[in-house]
Amino acid sequence: MSLFMRNYKPNSLATVYNVKLWRLNSTTADSVMKKDDNEEEEFRVLDILKKKDRMQRRVVRRADIQPDRADRMALDQKWGNVWPGPKTFHPSSVPLPLRQGYVSKGQAPPGKKANAELMKIPNFLHLTPPVIKSQCEALKQFCTEWPSLLNSEEAIEKHYPVEIITSDYCHASPSIRNPLARVVTLRFKLSTLKLDKHSRDKFIRLVGERYDKETDLVTITADRCPVRVQNLDYVNYLLTACYHEAWNVEEWEKEKTEEDMEYYEWNNNASKKSLVNWFMRTKNEFKELSEDEYRSFDVSVIPNAEGYKDAVSSLMNDGESDETVRKYGDSVRKLLGLPEKKVV
Amino acid sequence: MYSNVVVPRQWTRFACLCRSLTTIEGQKLPQTSKSSDGISPPPRIPRGPTDILQALAATVGNDPTAAHYKYHDDPYLIPLSNFRKRAYALSAEAGRKAAAWIRDEHAELFTTRVFDPPTKIKTPYSNADPKIEAFSPKPIYNDESKVTEDDLKYTIKNALLEDSMTVFKLLGGVGSVNEELKLQFLQLLCFYNEKEPDSLEWLEERWFSANMRERQAATWRLGGLADQIFESMDPKTPEAYCAMIQGMAKYYQAERAHNMAQEAISKGIPLSTSVYNALIGCIGFLKEGTALRIEALKSLLGQMNDQGMSPNNETLSACLRSLSAWGGGKVLQQMALQVVAEFKQIGIQPGLAAYYYLLCLFCKERGPRFDILSTIITELEKQESLDAKEPADTNFFITAMGVCSDHLQDINMAERLHAILMKGDNYKLVGDAYKESIYYRHYVTVACRHAPFEKTLELLDTLIPNVYVPEPTVMEEIIKTLEVGGAGDRLAQTWSQLVVFGHGKRVKLVERLLEAMINTYSGQEPEVQSKIRAAAADMLNFGQAVSEEQETKDVRTPVQKLSATAVCSIIELCSDTTDKADPNWKSVDEALRRLRREEAAGVPARPQALADVAQKAATIGLPGIAATAVTYLAECGFEEAMSASVQVLGTMLNRPVQEVETLLTEQHSSLAGSLHPAAQAVAEAYNIAKTGGPVLQDRERSSSSSDSDSESSSDDE
Repeated sequence: MSLFMRNYKPNSLATVYNVKLWRLNSTTADSVMKKDDNEEEEFRVLDILKKKDRMQRRVVRRADIQPDRADRMALDQKWGNVWPGPKTFHPSSVPLPLRQGYVSKGQAPPGKKANAELMKIPNFLHLTPPVIKSQCEALKQFCTEWPSLLNSEEAIEKHYPVEIITSDYCHASPSIRNPLARVVTLRFKLSTLKLDKHSRDKFIRLVGERYDKETDLVTITADRCPVRVQNLDYVNYLLTACYHEAWNVEEWEKEKTEEDMEYYEWNNNASKKSLVNWFMRTKNEFKELSEDEYRSFDVSVIPNAEGYKDAVSSLMNDGESDETVRKYGDSVRKLLGLPEKKVV
Repeated sequence: MYSNVVVPRQWTRFACLCRSLTTIEGQKLPQTSKSSDGISPPPRIPRGPTDILQALAATVGNDPTAAHYKYHDDPYLIPLSNFRKRAYALSAEAGRKAAAWIRDEHAELFTTRVFDPPTKIKTPYSNADPKIEAFSPKPIYNDESKVTEDDLKYTIKNALLEDSMTVFKLLGGVGSVNEELKLQFLQLLCFYNEKEPDSLEWLEERWFSANMRERQAATWRLGGLADQIFESMDPKTPEAYCAMIQGMAKYYQAERAHNMAQEAISKGIPLSTSVYNALIGCIGFLKEGTALRIEALKSLLGQMNDQGMSPNNETLSACLRSLSAWGGGKVLQQMALQVVAEFKQIGIQPGLAAYYYLLCLFCKERGPRFDILSTIITELEKQESLDAKEPADTNFFITAMGVCSDHLQDINMAERLHAILMKGDNYKLVGDAYKESIYYRHYVTVACRHAPFEKTLELLDTLIPNVYVPEPTVMEEIIKTLEVGGAGDRLAQTWSQLVVFGHGKRVKLVERLLEAMINTYSGQEPEVQSKIRAAAADMLNFGQAVSEEQETKDVRTPVQKLSATAVCSIIELCSDTTDKADPNWKSVDEALRRLRREEAAGVPARPQALADVAQKAATIGLPGIAATAVTYLAECGFEEAMSASVQVLGTMLNRPVQEVETLLTEQHSSLAGSLHPAAQAVAEAYNIAKTGGPVLQDRERSSSSSDSDSESSSDDE
């Protein structure tokens, strides 16, 4: 490519001007007229569609057109001066042998002149690496130093847990206002809030679908007020209100039964009861335990009970899958002291 | 309309940081660019609303291949002559003016607010938000408008002079406007002398307007509205006096201004420094004779001192302006130096305008050489940037460059001056299109005459044609330089430049160029030589096209014709080829025909060149051309015709010269049938040259229809 470009532009700096003649084309006109005379003598054909006339319409071309300025450009010029801002592609200013467009069989793609394909696509000729570099240098005077302790993604997340997302719009119109600019989105990780089990559960119930379990992100969007500042205040208010509400424990919340549980709590369920009963039976203790005693029974005294507990919980909470069932089976084998399942 | 962009987390975090930055901005924090605790963002570096744009703009330099950015970047739309430059820029501005007219006349069309919810609303005001005063419709005042004092305030503030006069009249004239407003109105009237100023809005019009030098005559309107208002004011405040005196002095009503000043002083009314500056500026209209004038100047400065007014920058330039306007001479020059020295003592440095007046005073075109410019340039080089303070500031660079070129003839000085102009945004001081063009005329001229050749070429490449299009005189200078430098390919290019710049019809230039081409031709590379030949042939075609155009259209001024010498030069250049099929021979033929049709002025200066061409054509095997050339020589009565015709015939017939001579002295009628038509024409030419009149004139040459170059078998009888 580079070799081709060098060949393409043989002009050195010394001869900046191309020596192409900016000439008048009067000789071509003469030759055209001569040709007409010759054709007159041939057998005349009835030309119903007047095709001949249409073909012969001569395009009047201006004589004083200079050659492309791309031809005159020095090899060591600063491209940023030639193409300082975004604009539509123009073949006479770009000294590159570009080609683009539909390739018919056995032909090269159309060249850069009069090529709508090249004009359609957005170009980044104004953002070449040296230009970006020099622009960054120019903007450095307005930049402050990055806080030294915010050196990692984790540190940033730790110190600035709340994100506010807004959009600004730029358009050509007498008014620079855009109603979409009022929308404010607040986003944070739920784990960064100080919540206990109950309040976390309540918080999640309060925000509803705004909480994404996969990423642990809570996203609150407000667009009901006409101005961005109001929406910003509003999302902050929503966050505060939800947080404090989550910590409140209402009287009726104590009436929560096993049916209301949002997840499977092994300690409260029959599985633990059976395990404890089985354990005590193996110890030959026959005691009648109350509900609370069952619930607070420390299963760590039972060998391998922790694994069993986890397996049952995950089977109930995460749903039945090969993985959970296998884990359940293994834990039961361990608990009962049965041999490992043989892999056939 | 708007695409939703998914914002990655990090970006928004950054945005969040920025936002917290803005909240911190309100508080007063110590200005360090470092974070205090390593976590919170450091305080924002204060910046103006356009600082970032300016910083980015500073990274863009200028591109010598591109036209000014006000023109379209397209070969068809880049203007290459001064006429086109002006026409294109003003056309674009005419479009803007039309749009502004629509906006003002039909302001009601621009009141729909598209974006405010809910959808479209008609409002009583313009739809712009935020409202920018410069873009909003201007009110239109006529005799029926209902106006208030606010309208008068508005028109005065925006210097809409005619509108303000209308409003003032509608308000009831002199009697019914309060004193404060009346004073403001008076100041406006005095400043502009009741004449509508050029609008600041139309940059191109100002740039191209040809106000070369304001008229130095008493143009103050006597008994105008300003006088009426001043009469009606009671009591007459010092401000009113100041405005009136300055207005009169500005428009050269010197006597009245001075009388009024005396009146004010006798009444004990204090006058401002700028009043004295204005008075100093028009002393010349008051007194005759250098001595009296200097006396008056001194007494005015003394008066200023008595009143306790301290002089300023403008006082200095006003003094120098007066001094420079009174002609030259040792006395004035001494006085000027004295004034500058005294002002320097009280800490006032001369500005650009003062330097301009000094240059006017010292560096006369036909005066002794004064090298004050080098001191001025050294002084200016020390300054970081130059500010425009008064209108005369824009005269400095053009005058200084003129001094470099005509007075000092010093290229180094010119380069230093140009470097100052190019520094920072000093280019604003170049003035307008007219001044810019003169500036570059001087610069290019001095460079052509005194700079090393390579450097001149470099300069020409950067300036021409996008910054500056050379005028015919400068073009001649350039051609001369190229000729001396022996740059053949440049000369070939110069022809196309002449065409593009619109100088193609200037015969004098074309002839000069041809002469330069002839002089440099022999030492060039074959490739360059062919370029020069092509250019020469093109000149011929261009001349043809122009004369055809003249015939078809009704052109008022007749096109000048190339002189015969020039056409000969073209022939000489084009015939420098040994290839018979070379298309340039066609041009040679055409040029010869033109010579014979007497479409060229005068006769060739070097007939020998034509004789050589004829000889060469005969050698190559183009008898038609050879015959035409010889015939032309004979018809013009040149001595060379005889020898040339003999030689040409000799070559044609492949016989030695003596034999041909004897052949020619024989009976003509016997030759007529046997010779080839071309050879016959040559023989005829010989006779014309010998006898001074054609012998075979009666014989028709109709049989010689094959008298063209296509005939190749010529050397057999």
